[in-house]
Amino acid sequence: MKQQGFHIIFMLLLCTFAAQAQLDAIQELPEVVLADAKLLHFSKGFKVEKLSDSVIKRNATSLTETLRYNSSIYFKENGFGMVSSPSFRGTNAAQTAVIWNGININSNFTGQTDFNTISPLNYDAISIRSGGGGVQYGSGAVGGSIHLNNNFSFDKTNSTNLGLRYGSFSTIAANASTTQSWDDHYLNVGVDFISSENDYDYVGKSKTNNHGQFLRFSAKVNEARKLKNGFASWNSEYSYNDRNFSGSLNTLGRDAYKDINTRNLWQLQQNIGVFTTKASFAHLFEEYKYFPSSEKYYYEGGKANTFIGALQTEVFLLKKLRLNGKLEYDYVSASGENVGDNSRKTLAAVVLLNHKISDKLSYGVNLRKEFLNDFDNPFLFSADAKWKLTNNYALRLNGSKNYRVPTFNDLYWYAGGNFQLQPETSYQVEVGQDFVFGNLKADVAAYYISSKDLIKWIPGNGGLWVPVNINKTENYGVEVNLNYAFNFNKRNRLSLNANYSYTKAEDLEKEKQLIYVPFHKAGGSLQYDSKNLSAYIQGLFNGEAFTTTDNSDRVDAYSVFNIGIDYKFAFIPNITFGGRLKNVFNTYYENVAYRPMPSRSIEIFLNFNI
Amino acid sequence: MKKLLLLSLTTLLFISCSSDDDNTSSEYIPDDYEKGVFITNEGPFNNGSGTITYISEDYSTVAQSIYKSVNGFDLGNIVQSMGFENDNAYIVVNNSNKIMVANRYTFESVDSIKTDIASPRHFIGASGTRGYVTNWGDPNDNSDDFVAVLDLRSNEVVTTIPVDFGPEKMVSHNTKVYVAHQGGYGQNNLVSVISGISVEKTITVGDVPNSMVVSGNELYVLCGGTPSYAGTETSGSLVKIDLLTETVTDTFNFATTDHPTNLTADGNNLFYSLNGKVYKVNTSSVTLPGTGIIDGLFYALKAKDGKLYATDAGDFASKGSLKIFDLSTNQEIQDFQTGIIPGGIYFNE
Repeated sequence: MKQQGFHIIFMLLLCTFAAQAQLDAIQELPEVVLADAKLLHFSKGFKVEKLSDSVIKRNATSLTETLRYNSSIYFKENGFGMVSSPSFRGTNAAQTAVIWNGININSNFTGQTDFNTISPLNYDAISIRSGGGGVQYGSGAVGGSIHLNNNFSFDKTNSTNLGLRYGSFSTIAANASTTQSWDDHYLNVGVDFISSENDYDYVGKSKTNNHGQFLRFSAKVNEARKLKNGFASWNSEYSYNDRNFSGSLNTLGRDAYKDINTRNLWQLQQNIGVFTTKASFAHLFEEYKYFPSSEKYYYEGGKANTFIGALQTEVFLLKKLRLNGKLEYDYVSASGENVGDNSRKTLAAVVLLNHKISDKLSYGVNLRKEFLNDFDNPFLFSADAKWKLTNNYALRLNGSKNYRVPTFNDLYWYAGGNFQLQPETSYQVEVGQDFVFGNLKADVAAYYISSKDLIKWIPGNGGLWVPVNINKTENYGVEVNLNYAFNFNKRNRLSLNANYSYTKAEDLEKEKQLIYVPFHKAGGSLQYDSKNLSAYIQGLFNGEAFTTTDNSDRVDAYSVFNIGIDYKFAFIPNITFGGRLKNVFNTYYENVAYRPMPSRSIEIFLNFNI
Repeated sequence: MKKLLLLSLTTLLFISCSSDDDNTSSEYIPDDYEKGVFITNEGPFNNGSGTITYISEDYSTVAQSIYKSVNGFDLGNIVQSMGFENDNAYIVVNNSNKIMVANRYTFESVDSIKTDIASPRHFIGASGTRGYVTNWGDPNDNSDDFVAVLDLRSNEVVTTIPVDFGPEKMVSHNTKVYVAHQGGYGQNNLVSVISGISVEKTITVGDVPNSMVVSGNELYVLCGGTPSYAGTETSGSLVKIDLLTETVTDTFNFATTDHPTNLTADGNNLFYSLNGKVYKVNTSSVTLPGTGIIDGLFYALKAKDGKLYATDAGDFASKGSLKIFDLSTNQEIQDFQTGIIPGGIYFNE
């Protein structure tokens, strides 16, 4: 239960909208060791939203679903459960970094993470950091980054959780995890599984999604041991996905895709005087197999190993000045039918500084320089400030230069890969404001991103497609988050969450909106909680998005609503059960043109906490 | 194309899609598509539907998505090509594995052929009641390629003829059908001669025969050559076959790094694309590369009656265009918007 306790603490402290001010308080909790403390200490002038446990559990099919309903990120999903790629603030799919315990896990082949391959239930904290994070998180943290963290604590804990879900389209899911902490040991082990026939009807089209079966299995081990002046830890994760790819309105699905990922991170931290020094070593493995026909054995695939060694030291002086220096060496070796056998080395030096001038004002400066790699090594920087003008109002500012290195596909794809590619670069600025009026909290952010040298595959002579650093884009937009809670009495509470984003993302050459970037997106939920019952309605509005570069075709706007109820017996509070009705109005909708999303469906669940 | 498809998949470049609600406001839909130009538009990769654009002979009418306008439903994914026989148009829908049959003048749907078709490429009609369709079968299997023989009265596949891998374009002469084996995702170097329901002979030509024209009793086969990325690069060539003896009588080679495409003919002149230019060659005295007459990277070319029709697919993720050039001046005289990836040019007479 201790772990749950932390979540509650986090939830209370880390209300989405005033994240920064409250994040300051967390470092006073020495018993929780954050897997990625940078996110806390060196992102104060950035918007960091942490998703609460209850929010994650509500949309637990995949990380796509979790984020679609609870952030302003747009997902292009090739049918439910299929390949899913993000557009964060109008940037491209390779410009959203997924960070697992501080490590960038975007694929070396595609530069992206397929958000349907990740179970949201495997982590203690999922946070969304908006804006450029290239200095801290490397390639791809342009639009923003998604942080999947496994934190730990040495406070005595013995908690086990088991969840079972069953739903429409023969969907079965289960997850189990246990967290044990005793003496100087911390151990967290968990498994998560989902499988679905996924044979939903295409609403009003008299067709069925009959080749969209998916299965995902993941397992995790997180272990830590307290040492005399620090700790040693090991985070480990395995995931396996096996999917048949859905067809579209016009095609029958035929192909299939299997992927395996393993991630391991070992860290050793020692605190000596004012210095906190951490050595870390990580290994990431990714393998995919693409089967043009799901009924045959023929496939094309690739695998990549990433080794990361890093050494960092942090000083915290006078409780005001925090300075972190880090050296990181990455070695990636990738091979595949279409990319040959290639490797990449990168040495990065990073300096992070945060200075708290007063309780009201703090600022940060972050620098990164890379060496060794094959590109014009970028020098990245970011600066941010947070100024709490009154108890009700805070202002934050940040600006950064970020980049995205070409992927192994871009460089070495046979045929067409272009090894003369350079990284995409982008500059951005953001102004954000936090408001608190009693029970109402609001956050309003405005940003501007200018990107150049964007990699685009274009048809060349003789029909061969070649990637080149050609596109220039300009994105700007506004994001508004609102959170309101009303307590009728001690036991009854009504809460409202809402978010809206306006995104303009323009190809500067064509002077057209980028494809699959909707101008408008809004989401929200209204929730009622009493002692043993909670009920909610959740809604999503997605504005129309263009699907052709000349903006001649579009995927229509849609609204989808889900409702759900959770119940706990007063006499057995460690069992929670309930159900959800998804797509209540049986709306036809698509995120990618001609790829219908599910019809109305139900899901029931049962959770045990021991 | 396979690599590209896979690449687009693995990089999640789900580029674009068409929803066929184009041009509903400004253009009226004629109920008669007699006399004019049809453009088959492949449509975007992976998603959506290909379409057909119609441009009347006098250029006064342009209609997009004519099949859907008339019938209310889409053709399907990747409209590869089209052929005619009698009153019907046979529209080959590659990724949806079907042939859609429509009246070539009204475009009203007549039938569809979905059985015994696998990755179909091109259709050609012969003798009024018979049609042939080249098929790749499983694109990753080079041993299952075939030509389907259709009975055009019942619109059924009556038999399939196994052929060498990568059958693509066809031309007919007298009662025979000549099939160019471009080589699918790989490279091949054959022309099969089909008579009736069997392969009578195969003729070895240059690597990657991608287009053919018949001029008198000669068959000109334009071979692209093996591109450098596919191993040993070989030059493109223009191969001349005497149709009476069915033997190669002449082979004209391009420079090793030249890979021409899109052979078309008007009278005694041949036209083709190479390195961003359209070249003209006279059949009476072939010298390569001939005369460069028009600049442009075109996806399809067709010459007819002193005009050259050329499509531009742009970035392959937005509407393309058809440009018409006057071959007496080599000047552009018309420019029309088409659908996405305009891959075929056909004339309705």
